[in-house]
Amino acid sequence: MIFSKLKEMGILGINNRVGRYILRHNKRSNYPLVDNKVLTAQRAEAWGIATPENYLIVENYGSLKNLHLKLLNYESFVIKPAKGSQGNGIIVIKEIIKEEKDGEVRILCRRSNDKLMDLDEVKHHISGILSGLHSLSGQSDTAIIQAKIDKHPIFDQYSYGGIPDIRVIVFEGFPVMSMVRLPTKSSDGRANLHQGAIGAGLNLSDGRTNNAVIRSQVVDIHPDTGHSLSGLKLPFWKEILELAARCYDMVELGYLGADIVLTPDHGPILLELNARPGLGIQIANLSGLVPRLEKIRLQAPKNLMAKERVEYSMKNF
Amino acid sequence: MKKTIIFITATLILFPVGVLIYKARILKLSLVPQMVDDVWNLHINLKPKGDVTSFSFPIPKMGLGQKVSDERIRRKDLEVFIDSNSDSHVATWTSKELIKGRISYSARVDLKPVTYNRIPKDYTETYPKGLEQYLKLPTLLPEDEEAISSLETAILEGSEDKTTLIRKIYYYVEEEIQRNTDIKTIHETLNTGKGSPLIKAKLFNIMARRKNVPSRIVVMVRMPEVRQSMEETKLRFTFANEVFLANKWVPIDTNRGYFAQRPDNFMLIHRNYEEVEKLISKKNITYSIQAERARINRYNKTEFKKEVIKSDSIFSKLSLYRLPLPLQTMFTTILLIPIGALVLSIARNIIGIPTFGIFTPILLTLFFKETSFGFGMLFFAVVVTIGIVERYILDKFYLLAVPRLSIILTLIIMLMLGYSFYAVELTSISQKHLSFFPIVIVTLIIERLSIMITEEGMLNTFKTLLGTLLIVLLVYSLYFISALEMFMFTNPELLLTIIGLLILVGKYKGYRLSEFLRFRDLVRQKKKMESLPHDLL
Repeated sequence: MIFSKLKEMGILGINNRVGRYILRHNKRSNYPLVDNKVLTAQRAEAWGIATPENYLIVENYGSLKNLHLKLLNYESFVIKPAKGSQGNGIIVIKEIIKEEKDGEVRILCRRSNDKLMDLDEVKHHISGILSGLHSLSGQSDTAIIQAKIDKHPIFDQYSYGGIPDIRVIVFEGFPVMSMVRLPTKSSDGRANLHQGAIGAGLNLSDGRTNNAVIRSQVVDIHPDTGHSLSGLKLPFWKEILELAARCYDMVELGYLGADIVLTPDHGPILLELNARPGLGIQIANLSGLVPRLEKIRLQAPKNLMAKERVEYSMKNF
Repeated sequence: MKKTIIFITATLILFPVGVLIYKARILKLSLVPQMVDDVWNLHINLKPKGDVTSFSFPIPKMGLGQKVSDERIRRKDLEVFIDSNSDSHVATWTSKELIKGRISYSARVDLKPVTYNRIPKDYTETYPKGLEQYLKLPTLLPEDEEAISSLETAILEGSEDKTTLIRKIYYYVEEEIQRNTDIKTIHETLNTGKGSPLIKAKLFNIMARRKNVPSRIVVMVRMPEVRQSMEETKLRFTFANEVFLANKWVPIDTNRGYFAQRPDNFMLIHRNYEEVEKLISKKNITYSIQAERARINRYNKTEFKKEVIKSDSIFSKLSLYRLPLPLQTMFTTILLIPIGALVLSIARNIIGIPTFGIFTPILLTLFFKETSFGFGMLFFAVVVTIGIVERYILDKFYLLAVPRLSIILTLIIMLMLGYSFYAVELTSISQKHLSFFPIVIVTLIIERLSIMITEEGMLNTFKTLLGTLLIVLLVYSLYFISALEMFMFTNPELLLTIIGLLILVGKYKGYRLSEFLRFRDLVRQKKKMESLPHDLL
């Protein structure tokens, strides 16, 4: 069988992920908690889990009219659809520029990729979000104006443009695999593997990178900074895993992907959750998920606290 | 849980299969209506010579490889009597007055080839009384008799069983006697080595009977070639033999070289030439025989409906053939949708082909089927182009999503208008192409397409497009197997089997074929890593 190698390595395939893990361990009624970032943020606040501050929630076209007045209060912000996926529809504004020409004030927004947008374009983008252009099922959506997060200095040499994020797959509350996604020029500064960001596998035991790939090709150095990708060790590693593990208690989804960012001053905070996390993490780690998932399913002790679960994972994986 | 699913799946899959077997074996129903391609419309026109009040003529009879239906034989002023001796039919028309004018017989005849693969050796010595007439020898001139017996010593020596003897006689008559329509007596044939088809059949007949094998000359008609024009073709009688070997009548044709087989372009009119020799003689009657291929539908639904209702089973009440015709046509198409869905499920979940939306490929396929392949492809190409252009032009206007979709919708309708003007100029096929349902689908496809282009890039979009097209082609080609269409329509219980198969696909937890490609590098690199010394890691 051509699949015997995959099976041997314990690679998790889509059918298996859906049929054996997602359908059995994720209650459909809890999906809105992760699919809608507004709800995630509310729940997280109640649970004391740190998330980026939501400045504004835009729910209808009417509030677009005076939006620019509100936006001027902030130096930088991120616009994202509440029900978006794979980072689609997210725009990062890192600076607001006011130009005065012939007595008229013109406001321009500088994006993280240094492109300039005027306010009409920003509003158009938001109305696109509201009409459901980027939402998971194409239904109408809500736009979130969120605080922009700064890059932790440890990533200075490892990232081009945007903020790297850390994906932790959590199964029944136990972290099982992790990677950090490092933006590149070809991913347009986004931490999106499909667009060519680097996926670097992380050892659960110590938070060190173990391997790195761009679109399933192994890479040794960051193509834009030239910095070697091995030897990166994430600070606050245990806190990162604990944060991820606590998300399980928060949304009660057995098979969960937690996206976490490191802030320079507040440590790890939760960016978003994913009820159908992708399988590319296996390529980044050069190892399969199945043996770890099965170990948790069959052997891991039940009813542990998040902290204990993290210790179990750090010891076993 | 697992057991329940296996049980349900097995039931779903096997129940319709059981029903099929029940229908075929017990009710003896055809699983698909009969193809009517093989059916011939036969017309025989007769005009007796001289003043007669009664006359007879052989007409075809049902038998192995030959089905006769819809016979029309009556004429108001005549009485008809059909003498059906065991193997053939002879019709006799009688009247109180002299018979005037033409008499016609017509029927539908379904011909199938008859072949015996192996005839066991035959050592029969005595035959039942009924066969005795087929052993009677005609009186021959003494010199002919002598010629034949010396022939026998030459060609038949050493053979004991009748099957081998007959085979040898067949080879002799078939190969050594040349066809020559001018030679009409056994005497001449034995002297010249030539003979007409009838004489060849007669010679074979005599030689077989001399070896004590029941034999007879059959009267046949050779059907016109399909290549021959549709015009009705006049046919003539021709002759072959049948011998009684291993308890059955075996067809043998020394004129066209068939041993133990009769191809489906020969129709038997009578199985004993001796009985009808006088009846078909041109001295007594003028006749013309014509046959044409019946050009009805490919499948004879009406016949099947009769068959089902006659079966008087539950299926006679549940058959879709009882529906009014327009509904039947609709369901023939609709019943194919689940098959398309099955193909789609396999393609997506087992192979891993990406497609636009879930049922878009099937809807597109139906559109292709409703219109035509060329038109469908053209339409698809136009749709893709609009999708791409839309992204670059409408994007600049910052329109809200719904009005924007509506603009595309209107554009599609404008395109259809344009096409209809163009099509009316060309042919009359246009109306069919302009049905309602594709409009909305197409609009949605365009919108999805243009979003996908921005979000996932051209490359991924084209992969998905190709995947969609692939499924469309696959399902489309399935839809063109008309037997499948009829099979589903005749046996709609197969829908349950499809559900069963879908459960199986749904329970499939293995890898998708596409994942083999996706993780191929992973496997390769893992191996490479493992072969490297450890300090490099």
